[in-house]
Amino acid sequence: MPVSLADILALLPEILLSLGALLLMMTEVFLAGARRGYQALLAALFTAAAFAAFLAQRGGGPRVLFGGFAVSDGFALFAGATICAGLLVTVVLGAGFLAPRSAERGEFYALALLAAAGMCLLVRAEDLLFVFIALELMSVPTYALVAYLRTGDRPSEAAFKYFLLGAFSSALFLYGAALVFGATGRTSLSGIAAAGGGKLLLAGLALVIAGLSFKIAAVPFHMWAPDVYEGASTPVTAFMAVGVKAASFAVLTRILVTAFGAPALAAVWQPLVVALALLTMVFGNLLALTQRNVKRMLAYSSVAHAGYLLVAVAAASRGFSGPSARGEAVSSLLFYLAAYTLTTAGAFGALAALERMGPDPQPWDLDRFAGLAKRRPWAAAATAMLMLSLAGIPPTVGFIGKLLVFKAAVDAGLVPLAIAGVLASVVGLYYYLRVVVVMYMQPAPLGSVPTPASWPLDLVLVATATLVLLFGLAPAGLANAALSSTGLLGG
Amino acid sequence: MTEAVLFWLFAVVAVAGGLGVVLARDPLHGALSLLAAFFALAGLFLLLAAQLLAVLQVLVYAGAILVLFLLVILLLDLGPARAAASPPGVVKLAGALGALGLAGLLCTLFLSASFPPAVPPSDFGAVAAVGRVLFIDYTLPFEAISLLLLAAILGAVVVAKGKV
Amino acid sequence: MLHVGLAHFLAVGALLFALGAYCVTTRKNAVGILMGVELILNAANVNFVAFGHYSWGGIHGQVFALFVIVLAAAEAAVGLAIVLTLYRHYKTIDVTRAERLEG
Repeated sequence: MPVSLADILALLPEILLSLGALLLMMTEVFLAGARRGYQALLAALFTAAAFAAFLAQRGGGPRVLFGGFAVSDGFALFAGATICAGLLVTVVLGAGFLAPRSAERGEFYALALLAAAGMCLLVRAEDLLFVFIALELMSVPTYALVAYLRTGDRPSEAAFKYFLLGAFSSALFLYGAALVFGATGRTSLSGIAAAGGGKLLLAGLALVIAGLSFKIAAVPFHMWAPDVYEGASTPVTAFMAVGVKAASFAVLTRILVTAFGAPALAAVWQPLVVALALLTMVFGNLLALTQRNVKRMLAYSSVAHAGYLLVAVAAASRGFSGPSARGEAVSSLLFYLAAYTLTTAGAFGALAALERMGPDPQPWDLDRFAGLAKRRPWAAAATAMLMLSLAGIPPTVGFIGKLLVFKAAVDAGLVPLAIAGVLASVVGLYYYLRVVVVMYMQPAPLGSVPTPASWPLDLVLVATATLVLLFGLAPAGLANAALSSTGLLGG
Repeated sequence: MTEAVLFWLFAVVAVAGGLGVVLARDPLHGALSLLAAFFALAGLFLLLAAQLLAVLQVLVYAGAILVLFLLVILLLDLGPARAAASPPGVVKLAGALGALGLAGLLCTLFLSASFPPAVPPSDFGAVAAVGRVLFIDYTLPFEAISLLLLAAILGAVVVAKGKV
Repeated sequence: MLHVGLAHFLAVGALLFALGAYCVTTRKNAVGILMGVELILNAANVNFVAFGHYSWGGIHGQVFALFVIVLAAAEAAVGLAIVLTLYRHYKTIDVTRAERLEG
């Protein structure tokens, strides 16, 4: 199989991310004495370049790369750009969070860039072998990132839990892939679709879905999420909530729609996905209700959002809806992923901005938000905007995302699921708005020391909140981009 | 005939090794059972004409990964006394029944499915054949996995460092 | 009994998978759980190679197994480093006792 230059150029974003990681590791060796502020800038530059490379490649038709292991299609490009946006926020958050804790090292950014390269490869993987490799390339650096900052016991415990469940879920996925290979003799997604198969294929499919459900933290595979999200340092949590989830959702959708898209198979997995979506929306929201710890609340909220995203996946099943309805569902998934990435990354930024240095038994208690409107009106306004978007209230991008997803579900004939989703979001209103109420209505507790402002964190807050509002008021651009990115190869 | 004898020998050792991992109270014994299972699996790979894989199974799995396990066990001095308490009987029983059910389910699945027979080519599994495929057809996964190894090295160093 | 076929190898794989799954779900010892994961990976490898040899021809299954071995090594390196830091903080690798995060 000849490797053409065009194939290599198509992987430019991933190459840029890997080059950035290598460069950061080099500078860490040779410029160890120098101040380390430049590293975040370097990482941000390479991330922005990868983002631009994804955007620049848009418009071309779907193309198979390297003899069928990866593809370059609209879906991959949109998801990849979303991941790079999430990485960019993570890098800036890292700069603002690590520097005051004198924990800024090139390794942090190098690991994040490598993980992002894995995510970008994952969203364009077209072969179960390559899916598995990209999945590991995403996960292994992330395990290390969770353990990166070692203040207290929390990070090591979180990394440990994340690693054990991650390794187990990868192993389940692998065994599932082995069964699929046995049933069809192929591992390429289009090959599996062409071959078809019996019960063995279904068993493999179930294991593949279970393995990926751990990664997206769908109920009942979500047990690790709150502990890991709480224990990891906040920029890493943002990266996991945004990047890992976006990439895993993209690959789940691609596998289900292209490899298992035949009506007979879709009839099997669609009810499964519907059940997962229902459980995830209901339990994610109910468990978030009881949390006073805002970081845990956001963790459960990201579980709940996985539920809404699963609604879009269920609606994308080809067995029950025509190609136009499926395109609508895939585009709503992409739009929601972009909206979720912006909003969630920003919300974790708000949390990072309030976090104190030094030992603190209750660093993320709701009380920390009290009186914020008086002390830092801009930060409070931005946080309020992000919370409104998470809750799905107009005029934010979160509202448009929910609207598109539920509309796609209705068009695909999943009316009860859409109604359940709306009800679940109503429950969600309570705990998101509680944060806003505490910020604006409660005075700061007496004797509390305000956390000093840090400009990168404020930049993240203001930038994400502005974008959330902007895309909420004028969603046409983003929605059209998502709609024109639904071309899945062979789908 | 020889093939059948060898198969049963390796299969019994592999499964017994797996059982040993599950049952051993002392992590050290568990690791040694795992070693036995790895060697037996290498034998099974040989029966399946996967020579390169059999060699790598011994070199990488038994030689590198398992040594890493043993190193950690000895470094942390995890004797039977320091090892974690064994789970309550109910959990064990439920787990055992679940595992048995799982194995039975998979076996019936395999027996009910029909597979097209194939005659492997004569150089099947030889180093040259695998190497050619690996470097020509599998360029992209090969490059990606080199990136993964880099990430793993970096990650292990970052995690094992005393403090950031 | 005497004729060895695909089903025999698959049965070995299924048994190893079940043992690994049992190990992961009931063990409390971190190293024990990791060994369970290794069992599952090996079970998958037996399947890949056996399917490739008996029914689909082609070398694809073997190459897949080859990649899995490399991945397992990478995962084990990072995983055991994490176990070491956990031990440094908690002086135990009992999964249920290393528990300071609520819930």
